[in-house]
Amino acid sequence: MSTVWNDSTPIYRQLRDRVVAMILDGVIKQGDPLPSVRQVAGDFQINPITVSKAYQELVDENLVEKRRGIGMYVSDGARDALLKSERERFLLEEWPALHARLGRLGLSLEQLIEAAKRGEKQ
Amino acid sequence: MSTNAMNPIVRARNLSKQFGANKALDAINFEIEAGRIVGLIGPNGAGKTTALKAILGLTDFEGELSVLGFDPRSQRTQLMEQVCFIADVAVLPRWIRVSEAIEFVAGVHPRFSREKCNAFLAHTKLTSSMRVRELSKGMIVQLHLALVMAIDAKLLVLDEPTLGLDILYRKSFYESLLSDYFDENKTIIVTTHQVEEVEHILTDLMFIRDGKIVLDATMDQVGERYAEVMVNPDKADAARALKPLNERQIFGKSIFLFDGADRAQLAQLGELHKPSIADLFVATMKGTYA
Repeated sequence: MSTVWNDSTPIYRQLRDRVVAMILDGVIKQGDPLPSVRQVAGDFQINPITVSKAYQELVDENLVEKRRGIGMYVSDGARDALLKSERERFLLEEWPALHARLGRLGLSLEQLIEAAKRGEKQ
Repeated sequence: MSTNAMNPIVRARNLSKQFGANKALDAINFEIEAGRIVGLIGPNGAGKTTALKAILGLTDFEGELSVLGFDPRSQRTQLMEQVCFIADVAVLPRWIRVSEAIEFVAGVHPRFSREKCNAFLAHTKLTSSMRVRELSKGMIVQLHLALVMAIDAKLLVLDEPTLGLDILYRKSFYESLLSDYFDENKTIIVTTHQVEEVEHILTDLMFIRDGKIVLDATMDQVGERYAEVMVNPDKADAARALKPLNERQIFGKSIFLFDGADRAQLAQLGELHKPSIADLFVATMKGTYA
């Protein structure tokens, strides 16, 4: 299948993360509709209960709102809220491990900035 | 949903079927609720098709079986109004035209919608004047699926529906099923050997072996109950001490499959994964043909 799911996280969680990434990247904007549960289930070949569960998570996080009888829409302010929470999560969860690894490898801030610039040029 | 729990779509109690000395179904018990997609998985000769035939009223049996509240033995006519079936063998006559097949089903089935059927077929290369004998295997399955999806039935039974189809037809088969057919008021029972392709579609998993149900769980329960751990050689003995279901080797590491073991304890041995249905199947069916 074209979609690869990893087997250490439940799929509904991975689907939720995908939608979050799409909101962060601006692929789906505030006020945009999400594809229907059926459509996502068909496209990804996953059962509709999994899709509903992912959507429900997004509703619980106030990122998406359910409009009765029409479908799911990205809430106003979803991107800002996400940026805030994702930044906090990065600093709290990912950064300490990354920082420790950079220390172990002995990489300086200058080297990292240099590498980032080279990457941007390519 | 409590109403569903009280009125399962299928309920089997001590369901048995014997062919001579061979017990095809050996006093099995199970229930299937509405809105589920259940995979009935088992090796050849395990009793899958016999179980499906009993559900469809195509064979007699011992024990109790209720399908949509009907007894498949005595109320087959009422049952057939609510049930659809795609078999692994082509049953459409070779001489029939697409249009004639549609007319036939429209004539015999009160819940068939000609409009729906034509709408499904519009997405395929089939035309109404084609005869079944001119169709490829994949196209025959498309026709079959269109006929069946156009029937507003509560239960759909699929016996190896994608057998012999190429990957494009297989993918589009499940895609149509999920986006154009299935909803919470419908229930699907599917048997297949291609477990990878239904892995994420199923809501429930049943393993059948030698006429017995050896696993009956929701996919969520499967994820909670079973865990796979990749273990370095120095911890392999510690892992074996926890009585794994199965052990296999990859790149100098051992992969152990555990049933119901303590996750915190397992996490100390190595990285935890959810096992695939295929791995679970192989571990559960070990020794079947030996």
